[in-house]
Amino acid sequence: MDTVLETTKTFVEVAEIWVPENDRLVLSGGVYGRHDAFAEASHFESFTKGEGLPGKAWAEARPVVLKQFDGSYFKRTEAAKAVGLTSAVAVPVFAGSTLKAVLVVLCADDATRTGAIEVWAELDGILKLEDGYYGAATHFEWVSQHTQFPRGQGLPGGVWASNTPILMRDLGSGYRFIRSESAGKAGLTTGLGVPVPVPGGATYVLTLLSAKGTPIARRFEIWDARLAKTGPRETAKLIDGICEREGPLWDPENAGNERVAHAWEGPVGRVLGTGLPVVETGAAAGGYAMMVGLPIHRGGELAHVVAWYC
Amino acid sequence: MEKLVVIGAGMASGRLLEHLINAAPDRFEVTLFNAEPRGNYNRIMLSPVLSGEKSYAEIVTHDDDWYQAHGVTCRFGERVAHIDRDRKVVVGARGEVPYDKLVIATGSDPFIVPCPGHDLDGVIAYRDLDDTNRMIDQAPGSRAVVIGGGLLGLEAAAGLRLRGMEVTVLHLAGHLMERQLDPAAGYLLRADLERRGITVMTQASTKCIRGDGSVEAVELEDGTLLPADLVVMAVGIRPAVALAKDAGLSVGRAIEVDAQMQTSDPHVFAVGECVEFAGQLFGLVAPLYDQAKVLAATLLGEDAAFAPKQLSTKLKVTGCDLFSAGDFTDAPGREDIVYRDPARGIYKRLVVEDDRLVGAVMYGDTADGNWFFGLIKDGTDVSDMRETLIFGPAYQGGAAADPMAAVAALPADAEICGCNGVCKGRIVEAIEGGATDLGAVRATTKASASCGTCTGLVEQVLAATLGDAFAVPAAQPVCGCTDLSHEDVRRLIKSQELKSQPAVWQELGWRTPNGCHVCRPALNFYLLADWPLEYRDDPQSRFVNERKHANIQKDGTFSVVPRMWGGVTTAAELRAIADAAEKYDVPTVKVTGGQRIDLLGVKGEDLPHIWADLNAAGLVSGHAYSKGLRTVKTCVGTDHCRFGTQDSTGLGIRLEKRLWGSWTPHKVKLAVSGCPRNCAEATCKDVGIVCVDSGFEIGVGGAAGMDVKEVERLAKVATEDEAVEWTVAFVQLYREHARYLDRPYKWLGKVGLDWVKDTLSDAAARTALVARFDLSQTVYQSDPWAELSTRDRARGFAPLADLTLEAAE
Amino acid sequence: MSWIDIGALDDIPERGARMVRTRAGCVALFRTGATEVFATSNTCAHKGGPLAEGIVHGRKVTCPLHNWVYSLETGEAQGADEGRIATYPVRIEDGRILIDGDAIGKRSAA
Repeated sequence: MDTVLETTKTFVEVAEIWVPENDRLVLSGGVYGRHDAFAEASHFESFTKGEGLPGKAWAEARPVVLKQFDGSYFKRTEAAKAVGLTSAVAVPVFAGSTLKAVLVVLCADDATRTGAIEVWAELDGILKLEDGYYGAATHFEWVSQHTQFPRGQGLPGGVWASNTPILMRDLGSGYRFIRSESAGKAGLTTGLGVPVPVPGGATYVLTLLSAKGTPIARRFEIWDARLAKTGPRETAKLIDGICEREGPLWDPENAGNERVAHAWEGPVGRVLGTGLPVVETGAAAGGYAMMVGLPIHRGGELAHVVAWYC
Repeated sequence: MEKLVVIGAGMASGRLLEHLINAAPDRFEVTLFNAEPRGNYNRIMLSPVLSGEKSYAEIVTHDDDWYQAHGVTCRFGERVAHIDRDRKVVVGARGEVPYDKLVIATGSDPFIVPCPGHDLDGVIAYRDLDDTNRMIDQAPGSRAVVIGGGLLGLEAAAGLRLRGMEVTVLHLAGHLMERQLDPAAGYLLRADLERRGITVMTQASTKCIRGDGSVEAVELEDGTLLPADLVVMAVGIRPAVALAKDAGLSVGRAIEVDAQMQTSDPHVFAVGECVEFAGQLFGLVAPLYDQAKVLAATLLGEDAAFAPKQLSTKLKVTGCDLFSAGDFTDAPGREDIVYRDPARGIYKRLVVEDDRLVGAVMYGDTADGNWFFGLIKDGTDVSDMRETLIFGPAYQGGAAADPMAAVAALPADAEICGCNGVCKGRIVEAIEGGATDLGAVRATTKASASCGTCTGLVEQVLAATLGDAFAVPAAQPVCGCTDLSHEDVRRLIKSQELKSQPAVWQELGWRTPNGCHVCRPALNFYLLADWPLEYRDDPQSRFVNERKHANIQKDGTFSVVPRMWGGVTTAAELRAIADAAEKYDVPTVKVTGGQRIDLLGVKGEDLPHIWADLNAAGLVSGHAYSKGLRTVKTCVGTDHCRFGTQDSTGLGIRLEKRLWGSWTPHKVKLAVSGCPRNCAEATCKDVGIVCVDSGFEIGVGGAAGMDVKEVERLAKVATEDEAVEWTVAFVQLYREHARYLDRPYKWLGKVGLDWVKDTLSDAAARTALVARFDLSQTVYQSDPWAELSTRDRARGFAPLADLTLEAAE
Repeated sequence: MSWIDIGALDDIPERGARMVRTRAGCVALFRTGATEVFATSNTCAHKGGPLAEGIVHGRKVTCPLHNWVYSLETGEAQGADEGRIATYPVRIEDGRILIDGDAIGKRSAA
């Protein structure tokens, strides 16, 4: 695959993976782009349970959105501020009750970037916005704060009810979809919703809503990893996906001609093999500046892998 | 170049054109008609477009550039008026096109239920992009009713729900997708859809659609009114054959073709859903593509023949893992392999015939679907892997189903002990806190410390929590279909809120597809006793006596016993009984021990008629055949007897009128004696009341069958009202707790009279029991004779056919 | 074979049965699934119980008199009981049930 350098700015600037090691979370990988100083600061960091953003996601067993570093529990505030990173989202990856890793993404704030990273939580049988980072999409943020999703409705409600990642198209393209009017104004086009399983049975849904100008991703993939136990080799099938360059990534015949990933081969294969998230850049990320692969476990077993590239 | 005209730009003809263009790009000059104002798109992917999970752009198969690049003349949005086969021209709305070869690919039309109101605005079919866009344009929050619970209807329902609508699915059959799924998989699918907030109504027949100009509501045959802003008809399709018929081509249910896809005219071919081959129609895409390939070869002068293959079905609803393939229909020598994993919501069923897999249904885990489908298509001999087949290709080691699975799958808040309100989480906590045997759990949590019927479950929680450190004492399972005991099943039906038999089979991991003659009647009783409003009584799960509402005799005839309230009758009733006995040649008329009259030797097909006659005289069924209230035997009491202390006859009649029609774990017989001389033999009944000067002595647990037992005193009460209240409360407690086929004395032997006394001495508990009993009676206290002697229901008692009569022809 | 239409599929409830009188005696028709029907003799080999009145489960029926269980596919009594009942070819077409007239002895009527 050719290396492509997209000129547009991306929504997420930094992605990193923290894994537990002897009661502490240590850095196992990160893509920092041009933010070398922040990378430097991170390499020497580690977190105990409850400490800093990754430690909080671990201790509280839930995804955490942090939009204000100053005066918060965020440990690398100085380094982040120095390079213009202003917000972060931490997503814990659990297999059953075991923490496999914490994925942290960091965003830079300015008046031009729009997009959304949202965390939805169930309360009294309905999904409500726990928190979200929206960049400049302030109206959409307001709408989201005032929208609730029953089971099966909309992207968050659909993910909740089906317990499966869902990729939605044409979010604001004139379909009278829930939040579509505001999504359209914010230029949001594609949405990826992902269940975040945590011990204890609470329901969390993470959604990434991507805008054309400042995409969260130029390519989304959803892999079904439940086939892993059937084939001669551990494999996953690409059941849905969309790419700015390649177009639809799913099998139009819907008849078993899906692309296949093998365990340990490529970044998705590594997620399959290890059950851990990966972040990659450059050639290893298919020529994209950043690739994030996130495993989703169900009943303690790897069920799906979602990947996004930008 | 040969002139090829194709009518219809669908998936079959699209595939045909691809084959032709690939093989011989310059062979044909193609004109393509399409009534829709667009070219070929992947129609089976409309559901994800509806739900927002795909965009229309993604499902376009051939765009304008493609048609242009391959020199296809497109006549889109133009209907074909007719085909002139003599002149070999197709007449379109905008002019004629001559052909050398003609392909009809008109597909199918949606079937619209012709009920009143089907033409209102807002009633749409689900067939093409326009229908899809119509649904997408509906505002979130609107109410949609989808008629039809097949593939298409359910995909529409899921898509509309994701779009933010309130969705109800109406389905005529007893379970969803009944042609592809069995009841167990249908149950899981329904539960899955309900988890998405979709309302599912089965056995729901649409009477009409109401509205003034546009849709306002759907009315069902049973009178239910469902408000609706949109009605989607997805009940089926029928081949679009008008054009072919009009052209004089041979048309049966669809356009008849041979294996080369040629119609009755050698220059005219047909492909797709409008085709009938060897009596078969085709709706799924796989055979259509096969047809397209064959037709391409035929048009190119090559040899090819179409042969229908086995088909598989998947539902395109994200997260709904369902797979069905092959054949479940009638043939001797077939065998089922069933696997259920309640914890993970998995159900798999394989059908094997002659060492070959012929059918597969799976839900929840469909990863092996294509592997099974491959075995079906290839006719692979599976005898070597027979034992482990169901575990799929990767698991040829094979583990037995875990008998603990149902209990392990229970959520922490599932109530295990109903008496003391102890949930599973509390018991697990206690076990983890060091209570590692039954006694310790009882002491810490009180679970199973009262009536004790949940003992088995508590033991299983111990086993599931402690693993091998705890050995479960073997409890007698209900039958070979499960490892759970009656008590476990009863408890789980309540705590897991299981409200149908398929729900029990699945969630409790039944090993058979639909139970056996031992468990089915028990489950039917437990379900109707615990969920009187939600559960629907299943006659097929009842012993013949209860299904026929008469006692089968050893020669296959039946006995008929009308009810005589408290043993009291009248001259008119006796006359009606005598008339019926004569009219139906009843060989034996006998007075029973329960103070009524038994007509023995009635032929099965006469039953509805004799019932109708007796009904006309005011007599109703005596339920002499049921696990339910039989009789209330009385003595004459104060009315006539010089020793009588109370109105025993009146109380007996009152009790019988209150209790009749109720189903119980086993038969229940009552008696009321007017004084301690006990002429009504009340002291050997299930409930026996003996009147004394100061009130009523209520005794329970008597028997005079294989065991003879005297009643034990439950309570002594002062008033008749109290006597009725205590009796009803006792019967309801028995209904809610006893295992099926335990008479009250057996049940009392297990739970202890003390527990029953304690429970019933709480006035609030008594009131609640009586209220639950009365609620159940609103459903079940009805005369089966009246219901079954209607002309429609009576047909079920006659032979389906009488072929001995045909000799006369 | 000569197929005789004996009634609609929906005349038999799922997991239910109906009886048909024939020259060869009473024949029981069992509907074991949405589209699956079996035909056997209606008479239990044990004491002549009417099998069409039994409980239908899987592809088996249990006699209402003494709980003998028969495979509807082979007619063999299951478990410890020994006995066999006749089975007859039957098929479903367009929602109608057809039985093989030759097998049930219709010929003898002629």
